[in-house]
Amino acid sequence: MTDVGRVRSNNEDCYRIVSELGLFVLSDGMGGEAHGEVASALAVETVVKHCLEGENNPALPVFGETQPGWSARTKRLSSAVHLANKKIFESAARHPEQSGMGATLTAIWISENSLSLAHVGDSRAYILRTGSLQQLTSDHSLVAEQVRRGILTSTQAEESELQSVLLRALGANPDVEVDAEEQPLFPRDVLLLCSDGLTRMVMEPETAGALQSEPDPQTAAEHLVAMANERGGADNITVIVIRTSTESKSWFSWFRRGARKSSNGNGHAGGQGQAGGK
Amino acid sequence: MAKLSLMFEEKLVKEVPVGSRAVSIGRSPDNDLPVDNLAVSNYHARVYFEAGRLVVEDLDSLNGTFVNDMRVERATLHDGDSIWVGKHHIKVDATHDTALPMDYGRKANAPRINETMVLDTKVRRDMLQQAAAMGERTQFAAGRLKVPTIVVLSGRTDQKEYALTNKLTVIGKSSLATVRLKGWFKPAMAAQINQRDDGYYLVAGDKIPSVNAAPISGPVRLNDGDLIEICGVRVNFIFRE
Repeated sequence: MTDVGRVRSNNEDCYRIVSELGLFVLSDGMGGEAHGEVASALAVETVVKHCLEGENNPALPVFGETQPGWSARTKRLSSAVHLANKKIFESAARHPEQSGMGATLTAIWISENSLSLAHVGDSRAYILRTGSLQQLTSDHSLVAEQVRRGILTSTQAEESELQSVLLRALGANPDVEVDAEEQPLFPRDVLLLCSDGLTRMVMEPETAGALQSEPDPQTAAEHLVAMANERGGADNITVIVIRTSTESKSWFSWFRRGARKSSNGNGHAGGQGQAGGK
Repeated sequence: MAKLSLMFEEKLVKEVPVGSRAVSIGRSPDNDLPVDNLAVSNYHARVYFEAGRLVVEDLDSLNGTFVNDMRVERATLHDGDSIWVGKHHIKVDATHDTALPMDYGRKANAPRINETMVLDTKVRRDMLQQAAAMGERTQFAAGRLKVPTIVVLSGRTDQKEYALTNKLTVIGKSSLATVRLKGWFKPAMAAQINQRDDGYYLVAGDKIPSVNAAPISGPVRLNDGDLIEICGVRVNFIFRE
């Protein structure tokens, strides 16, 4: 689900779930006026379209660098993110008023026993497995990079005033480095995709607790959004919770919910989620 | 910022900060901490920051480097530790570790940024340079180039060595596990290693692994040289140059 939060009036987050593919895409836009929304919508649309087209036509060109060990899906997903970067960059180049717009993108493509992941920016993907919440993405932010270099501690990074400064995002440059990898999936794994509106407000142990104590993914997503809003809801909050089935091999069920507050005509965020599912 | 104080008996001989460059210790006068004693090798040991922790490394010295009472090749240092070389010792003061980076945000005099922004190439370079300059005395240099690696010491696995390149590495019998355990009754997912910004964490799976012979009670941050035991398989976690 996505929520505009308590401070902002617009929702720059966008997500889409393509249930027939098992594809989950989340983007957080940035840029003045309504351009953040344009960027995140363009990012999500492009990724979904490219993946759908690739399913129908495996010969569709693959953009960007790939690694030989990757599955066709991982290559396609990474390619889709490269393409989304190009589209946003070109759009901003064509429309000077959009200059400076950009977006994060985190996408997961699930198959029966594995997932492909592609990521740019500071939205996050987590996996909750055997009670531990483990982050599957690295934030491409200045403070996270400083932690990785040993200049800041994680606590200092959380308190930093520079948290919003990204080192990588879609649309900033003609090409972008995309993080992509594959992971095995196990029964009872819970996946979480979220924008920074959640992760800046709700600490990981609390997120883990909410996901663990609530078996229904819809309710879990609502809890997380409510927790972020209780603490100020400084930014838009988007949360996708995916729970793998405990019983059979037709195993994943997922949840998404349309935006409650962003239905004010721009058709953004949850408005684009596809209906249906297993 | 950490500080090293070279002591002889209870007298202070010399004090140096530890920065982006390693602090060298040895008998040769061009060391940062020259130790005038025949029991000390010319280039005896060095101390540097790596992944946010302070590390001492013995440089194949003849008589060895000791942290407190233990002879070490390489060890993580903590506040209050003493490094012994010959009859001298070096007191480790790591309490000021956090002061410098904390100042960074203020000194940079950056406006509070609520709107997310992407740094363009020039601004990004400037900020990273500024960050690097700030970290001059805290930043480690080569640490990032080291590859975290699992070396199998005993037990049946599909390879003898694994470079950890993923954010999450699964150890288990699953055909999709990175470190594949072989043999009967091995769990599909025995344990996992999660790469976080501040290091690599070992997390239990269907089994509880041990680190340096102690079963873990929650995610444990791994240090260079840690010994992990899981389902009868013993592996070494190291950073390969």
